[in-house]
Amino acid sequence: MSFGQLGALCMMAGALVVSGCSSIGVKPWQRDVLAREEMQLDAEPVDAAIDDHMYFSKEASSGGRSFAGGGCGCN
Amino acid sequence: MQLKPKALPKAQNARRRLMAASCALLSAGAARSQQANIAPAGSGLLEDWSVDSALAYYHEDGRIHAIEPVVDLSKVYADGKSLNFNVTFDALAGASPNGALTSHAPQTFASPSGTSLTGSHTYTTEPGQLPVDPNYHDDRLAVGGSWTVPIARLTQVSVGGKLSDEHDFFSATVNASIAHDFNEKNTTLSFGVNDENDSLKPIGGAPLPGSDYALFQKTGNKSKNGVGALLGVTQVITRNWLSELNISVDRFTGYLNDPYKITSIIDSTGNTTGYEYESRPDERTRKSAYWDNRITWTSQVSTAVSFRYFTDDWGIRSETAQLHLRWWMSNRDHYVEPSIRWYRQTAADFYTPFILNTAAASTGNQSADSRLGPFHAFTFGLKYAEQLADQGNHVGSEFSARVEYYRQTYDVTVPVPASLQGLDLYPDLKAILVQIGWRF
Repeated sequence: MSFGQLGALCMMAGALVVSGCSSIGVKPWQRDVLAREEMQLDAEPVDAAIDDHMYFSKEASSGGRSFAGGGCGCN
Repeated sequence: MQLKPKALPKAQNARRRLMAASCALLSAGAARSQQANIAPAGSGLLEDWSVDSALAYYHEDGRIHAIEPVVDLSKVYADGKSLNFNVTFDALAGASPNGALTSHAPQTFASPSGTSLTGSHTYTTEPGQLPVDPNYHDDRLAVGGSWTVPIARLTQVSVGGKLSDEHDFFSATVNASIAHDFNEKNTTLSFGVNDENDSLKPIGGAPLPGSDYALFQKTGNKSKNGVGALLGVTQVITRNWLSELNISVDRFTGYLNDPYKITSIIDSTGNTTGYEYESRPDERTRKSAYWDNRITWTSQVSTAVSFRYFTDDWGIRSETAQLHLRWWMSNRDHYVEPSIRWYRQTAADFYTPFILNTAAASTGNQSADSRLGPFHAFTFGLKYAEQLADQGNHVGSEFSARVEYYRQTYDVTVPVPASLQGLDLYPDLKAILVQIGWRF
């Protein structure tokens, strides 16, 4: 797949997501729970980094949450 | 990762200085919390900065142990811009499997710097034991940063980079991403790219992939490069449920071997007749899909649940599922957070625990690196965190401690000669992680 095709696919996927998601969600005054620390996707960056490094050095898979590069010669 | 007989004095000094700095920073957090009533709010070196620091100790049963201090600094400006820096140091030592197969006979190997299977730069593995290099040692220093800027009311861009330095490895990574909010900020689309350039300087040189271990055919430094892209969508599902889906792809090219890994050559009776350096393909394309969910069930209980599917053109597929359950207590003064992670991977197409011999050297790719083999793993974790009194600008200070137990079990089904069947050829990997953290 060329980069052009990949870009077109991403744009189509994005359009579908945006249109499909327009009917769900909350109003601005309903974000009390979402504002809690534990509801943030990057709530524990240091814990996540330490775990990711451990798994990167012991397993063949990495990434997903963010870029998969390890910056480590351990694997 | 490096293997070297002795730590260099320079590296030892650097490690001591970094450890001291890390401990001082952790202590600064403690002092800050205890003296909140004395010092003016918000005073000090890190005024307006959020600090997340941790000191982790990792220990494998009979193999590697490591200590890792981490400091993450971030600051959000009034105009929405944000800046982040992080520093990580690893000091590892212990015994690292070299890839060779357990045998009924003693096996002698050369240290990475060795050029002969005799003499002082060798080590011997006893019969029935997994061959490991007992002189493994590695120090790593990594620094990273990112700068995020809103370019419109609903759009922000971020650029970042990371440098990581080891005695035998250097990595430089840059990345950039853009994120845009839709639907009253209930939906966020993001797209990012990264570029990684690694330099490998293996001790003793980089072995010729697939070459006879006894011939020590090594060359100079090597490199590998990777580019990747990540497309993500974050969606508020309900008042209590936030979901994220990421699709990522990357491609690495260059010297992708572990220069210290070898593969045993055995005959039909199970006797080891020699070794080859591993030989991996010189390119790899990886793809993954990652789905993360944050769900609050009650005022005290919330969960983080994630799934990942990973595949690459080496034939590896993996699935990962992870659950964290956070349980707040006493009016959200402290919480406990048990967690469990399950992981399973299939083997790379060229993975083989040994080469069944024959006089001729193999001509294709091969590796006995257990990390490319089939296995499954569990992680069980428990975290405790205590919220500290607000301290000026540092609202949300927290002390935490956590422990994790990790266990890999191999699912290798390759038939072995009868004489080897009584040996534990693929022993489980068992590890424990202990960490304390301070956020202020």
